[in-house]
Amino acid sequence: MIKMTRFRLFFLVALLALAATQRVRADAPNVTAVLTSSETEVDRPVQLQIKVTGDRSATPPSDISVDGLDIRYTGQSQLVEGRNFRFTYSFVYSYTILPLKAGTFIIPPQVVQASSGRLRTPALTLNVSPNDDGATTPRRRSGGGSSALDEKKIVFAELIIPKKTAYVGESVPAEIRLGIYTRIPHRLVEGATLSGQGFTAQRMPNPEQSTESINGRPYDIITFKTAITAVRSGKLEISARDAKAIVQIPRRGGSRPRSPFDIFGMDDPFSNDPFAGVGEQKEVAFSSEATTLEIKPLPPNAPPSFTGAVGLFSLATDVKPKTAQIGDPLTVTATISGRGNFDRVTAPVLESDRGWHTYPPGSSFKPDDDIGLSGSKTFEMVLTPNEPKKAVPPLIFSYFDPLKEAYVTLKGDKLPVVVEGGATAPATPAIASAFTTPPPVTARPTAAPQAQDILYQLTDHGPWDQNFTPIFMRPVFWTAQTVPFLGLIAFFGWEMRRRRLENREGQRLAAWEHETAELQRKLRRADDPPDQYFAEALRLVQLKTALASRGRGIEPNTVDAETAVAAFDLPDEKRDRVRELFRRSDELRYSGRPNGNTTVAEQTRREVLELIDSLA
Amino acid sequence: MRAPLLLLLTAAALCLIPKAFGAPVAHAEVDATFAKANADYAAGHFPTAIAGYESLVKSRQWNPSLFYDLGNAYFRDGDPGRAILNYERALALDPAQPEARANLQLVRDQARALELSGNWAEQHLAYLTRDQYAWLAAAAFWGAAAIFCGLYFSRRRPVVWIFALLLLGTISAGAACAVYELEAGSAGNDLAIVTGRNIQARLATAESAGTVLLLPAGSEIKILSTRGNWLYAALPNDLRGWIPAQSAEPVRL
Repeated sequence: MIKMTRFRLFFLVALLALAATQRVRADAPNVTAVLTSSETEVDRPVQLQIKVTGDRSATPPSDISVDGLDIRYTGQSQLVEGRNFRFTYSFVYSYTILPLKAGTFIIPPQVVQASSGRLRTPALTLNVSPNDDGATTPRRRSGGGSSALDEKKIVFAELIIPKKTAYVGESVPAEIRLGIYTRIPHRLVEGATLSGQGFTAQRMPNPEQSTESINGRPYDIITFKTAITAVRSGKLEISARDAKAIVQIPRRGGSRPRSPFDIFGMDDPFSNDPFAGVGEQKEVAFSSEATTLEIKPLPPNAPPSFTGAVGLFSLATDVKPKTAQIGDPLTVTATISGRGNFDRVTAPVLESDRGWHTYPPGSSFKPDDDIGLSGSKTFEMVLTPNEPKKAVPPLIFSYFDPLKEAYVTLKGDKLPVVVEGGATAPATPAIASAFTTPPPVTARPTAAPQAQDILYQLTDHGPWDQNFTPIFMRPVFWTAQTVPFLGLIAFFGWEMRRRRLENREGQRLAAWEHETAELQRKLRRADDPPDQYFAEALRLVQLKTALASRGRGIEPNTVDAETAVAAFDLPDEKRDRVRELFRRSDELRYSGRPNGNTTVAEQTRREVLELIDSLA
Repeated sequence: MRAPLLLLLTAAALCLIPKAFGAPVAHAEVDATFAKANADYAAGHFPTAIAGYESLVKSRQWNPSLFYDLGNAYFRDGDPGRAILNYERALALDPAQPEARANLQLVRDQARALELSGNWAEQHLAYLTRDQYAWLAAAAFWGAAAIFCGLYFSRRRPVVWIFALLLLGTISAGAACAVYELEAGSAGNDLAIVTGRNIQARLATAESAGTVLLLPAGSEIKILSTRGNWLYAALPNDLRGWIPAQSAEPVRL
């Protein structure tokens, strides 16, 4: 194991030594320069990379001037290459070249100050062609400041409305497209808002993002969709305004970044990490050109059921249940589908509501697109028939069709139902009249029950003084709670007392057992006079008797010879000996102590101890 | 120890004396008024009957039959809103009274009165009344408390008793929640009935404010707050609006 470790250590040292040797060999500095592309067009940047190998302290050219090219230093990166254990360390200095005009440009050799002397890059050729617009020079240049790129080339906003004319109330889809040049690090801060008067717009859902090439330049396109609805006729000027983005524009000047560990992209003129410290951050606000929409008023003579719906719709109806009694509710479902201003689509109305009682409908809308321009709106209406019916009358819905430029009235189908119970309806004229006009006194209804009439009077009654207070707020409820509460308290107290008594009995038994053990130890000693010895023996028998009959509550002091004999299952001979022990003890206690320090004979003591041990 | 107990018993006895001796005299008068109002109703003198019943209501001599009969009298007198109100009151005192339930349904249909829709909990708690849930909660609570005490003092704790403790605790908590739901729900303490005819619920406390819903007489509302002479109420169809205070009366007195 140790051999293996030593072998690995030796191998590692050898490897490092070899690498160091190679490193020393690779120390001779050199410089190269490349363009990411030698062909480009006006406004399309390419990157110049100057790679210095073998010198950590080389100083790249700070300013490269070529007429027709805008060349800016963008940063440096470090490159480590290894081949066959030969490692080379290179520094790559990057420049962005923005062609300002078409033509062939020669980038002259550049001088790099290295520790070993001056190194020169090779000359490079860049062919710049006009861009797709045919421009041989950039169309716009920023007026000054630090902005090097044209903002119109970096960002743009456009408002797309597919129609030029619309009607009041007609919902017209609109798209706001915000474009930001992909190769510029950027972040959209705020989307555009629609600016103008005389219209309402739907809330814009989450925008869609895509990348498009416009005039050969890649753009990130953020598209907001909405629908606008004109509320007055006339010309409507709408524009998308106040979009804001933060973009990073390359800095003029070739000062090197402070940290030598900054890493920049090799293929892009800018790092993929936006705002990583290269160039200048700038907030750009941009807006679209105004778009004009001609709004026409709705023609006069709208049908009575027209409530402002403009678009193209269809109507489907249904009813449930198909059979019912008079007064039973029927639910009529009307679904209006199509494309238009659904916020102005209201519930269809019955062609004739005679004999029907209608309730306010409920509605739900299920959009088919993001902006709610098309979808289905479902109305549920509850109707109750007042008389026998065979069908629910057709539902009527009117809207204005902007394509036909005319009002359209949709009429649903008659919905067949069977409403029964008509025979009993006339039986309640008194009730019906009671709701309309007070009848004359002579026509007052009697209290006799009729079909479809209220039930009889109650002459029996329960107890008076009832009240509406909930039971849990009445005293009787809480008074009733005292019964189980007191029961619980009593149970708790009784249980606690029982425990305490159990504890006291246990303590007394423990004291008896302790005294028993103490006396047994004393009796085994031979130094007590006979009266004390037999008194202690008697006390021991009494204690054992009390312990043996603990369930009967016998106190040791009350135990006599017969009680002790009865407490233990003893043969007759031992019974007599117990009696003899009690008699002898009494005799010695009451006859007085004999003179001299006499002790109990060994034989007698043994017999007494044997007798006491047998009491178990 | 015995003296306070004696005082308590004496006080209880004194409280019971009026019930034992004074009550029959008062109830005889109440019975007579009730019988006369019933006779007026049977004779078709509905306003007189209503006055008789209302006098009993004002003297707080309430029972379900009184409100039921008063509802019938209002119905005959052409006031479906107050008829429904009194049927609701009869049912509030005795939720099981079948006559009041039947007449309420009939009058409500006739008057096209709108009802508040109970929430999910209310619809599934219809097995017992609010008071029954209260008793159930109390009984289950004390059962759980007794088992808890038994388990506390017991040396052995059988699983079956622990399960019983959890079951009764759950029943008690569930019943208490049911009481709360029913009390705070659409048929709870704040239930009121529209007694005016075709009352417009409005968006604000002004007659000129926009309308929310047309409330036929007898429609149920739940009073949420009061401002001056206006009530802000939860309305049928999950709407809310203001209605004049004098156009609705609470079910519970």
